[in-house]
Amino acid sequence: MRRAALLFAYSLKRVRTLALTAGLLLAALQVVLIFVASSIQSSGGFDQLSSLLPPFARQLLGPSVATFMSFSGIVCLGYFELAVMGALIALALTLATTPASEVETGFMDLILARPLARHWIITRTIVLTTLVSAAMLALMVGGTWAGLRMFAPKGVPWPSATLVSSLAVNLGMLTLCWGGVAMAIGAASRRRSVAGGAAGLLALGTFLLDYVARLWQPAEKIAWISPFRYYNPFDLITGSALPLKNLVVLGAIALAGFAAAYVLFARRDISN
Amino acid sequence: MAPISIRGLTKRYGNVRAVDNLSLELVQGEILGFLGLNGAGKTTTIRILLDLLRPDGGNASILGHDCQSDGLRARLNIGYLPGEMGIYSDLTGREVLDLLAGLNEQILDKVRRRELQERLEFPDSDLRRRLREYSTGMKRKLGLIQAFQSDPLLLILDEPTEGLDPLMQESFYKLLVDVKQRGRTVFMSSHVLSEVDRVCDRIALIRKGELVLLANVEELRKLAARPVRVFFAEDAPVAAGLPLGTAVIETSPRSWSLKVEGPLGPLLRAIATLPVQDMEIEEAKLEDVILKYYRDGKQ
Repeated sequence: MRRAALLFAYSLKRVRTLALTAGLLLAALQVVLIFVASSIQSSGGFDQLSSLLPPFARQLLGPSVATFMSFSGIVCLGYFELAVMGALIALALTLATTPASEVETGFMDLILARPLARHWIITRTIVLTTLVSAAMLALMVGGTWAGLRMFAPKGVPWPSATLVSSLAVNLGMLTLCWGGVAMAIGAASRRRSVAGGAAGLLALGTFLLDYVARLWQPAEKIAWISPFRYYNPFDLITGSALPLKNLVVLGAIALAGFAAAYVLFARRDISN
Repeated sequence: MAPISIRGLTKRYGNVRAVDNLSLELVQGEILGFLGLNGAGKTTTIRILLDLLRPDGGNASILGHDCQSDGLRARLNIGYLPGEMGIYSDLTGREVLDLLAGLNEQILDKVRRRELQERLEFPDSDLRRRLREYSTGMKRKLGLIQAFQSDPLLLILDEPTEGLDPLMQESFYKLLVDVKQRGRTVFMSSHVLSEVDRVCDRIALIRKGELVLLANVEELRKLAARPVRVFFAEDAPVAAGLPLGTAVIETSPRSWSLKVEGPLGPLLRAIATLPVQDMEIEEAKLEDVILKYYRDGKQ
């Protein structure tokens, strides 16, 4: 346990600059979005923006278009904006494929030549991925709070704490889900680039599947296999409660990934 | 309890047998040189000992603990130097040493580390630098320090002098003698035959995954053919009846260059009637024997 904690501390130390930079950038983005939303609100521009939306976007957004095209909606945009989701998932993939990187560099040889059980490598990676992902989201929520305090116009309703936390939790579970998938692939890989690339392609493919299914009815039949199906920010913005099913499905995928990582890593040959 | 005991170890990669029914036992306090050409199975064997690779057959144990089923205990008291030091370049030398020492069971002896630094000429200023600034030789020295710093009972070293300059090689040999005197056991793979000749008590030679030679270095040296030059006062054609184990390398009317395996007595008797003026007998080279095994396998 002491050795595993030491390894965790070392791993955290290695990623601290990356994680802190990414977290601060994401928090800053929330502040910027709120500043923009505040400017639009002050100039009364939300109605004009809404009328500029192309038909396919209206179809995609559905009845939530009115809610989305509001101060509160733009504030929440930071939790489902493509770049933000991409950044969080990319960070999770990077952290989750740490074992593959350590095998690739040969560092794993030095670690496992010590009396350290293999399962600690995976446990360390799970804790690292979970903690850093949670810290990213906490910084984003902090950025939202700070932005609202600084720039929200008086008299305009803020998004509720429940809405922001629901978005953050659901996004966090989606991130962790991809962390689990990447960990399972990384636990059996010799190269981080291969593991990260495979998980990234899978994420992109399932994202596109979910996107297409929202516009093209036949794809709806298989869209349930996409983890992105279980993150519906527009439903949350329009006031729906966070469905437990979404969290359960995403959590189950993450857990299955972690379990597969334990098994695969315990059985594999460590060879670079 | 043998520091390392290997019985019938086999590791296959598809149809290729990287290690084939290997059996080997080390004696406490010895330095065993593990030799073989590239791809012979040396590193595969070492990786099985460390439970990095899983064997397809046979078993291996370290200090009485099975490397696979009881791997944690087997690795409690070993120091390992890999063939290539895979370390992240953003860490400093001290961070690497502290981390790897912390992952060991033994409490780090700072006096021991300091002594190793001095012997390998690795000052604190180098330990403060990041590994991206290290040369190959410096990385090797750092690797040696991390392997030796916990003063383990067994050292497993993969090509330890690769990248070290001659002065550091000398320091390393002295370090080996020192750990041996304190009863530690060393299992080292090497390509450098002169180094094996100098520091090892026994050698195990592996070829295409098979053990083809396991012998005491002293005894092996006796098997080596010695270069002998015989000078004559008058012209002396090569006699037909040279004893078995004597090979003629070169002749001139008044000198012969020979290679003699085994004792010199039969040769001396064979040339006793010739007008011998002088003889030069060189020391037998272990390399000659080993190279023969490299080429031909089991004799």
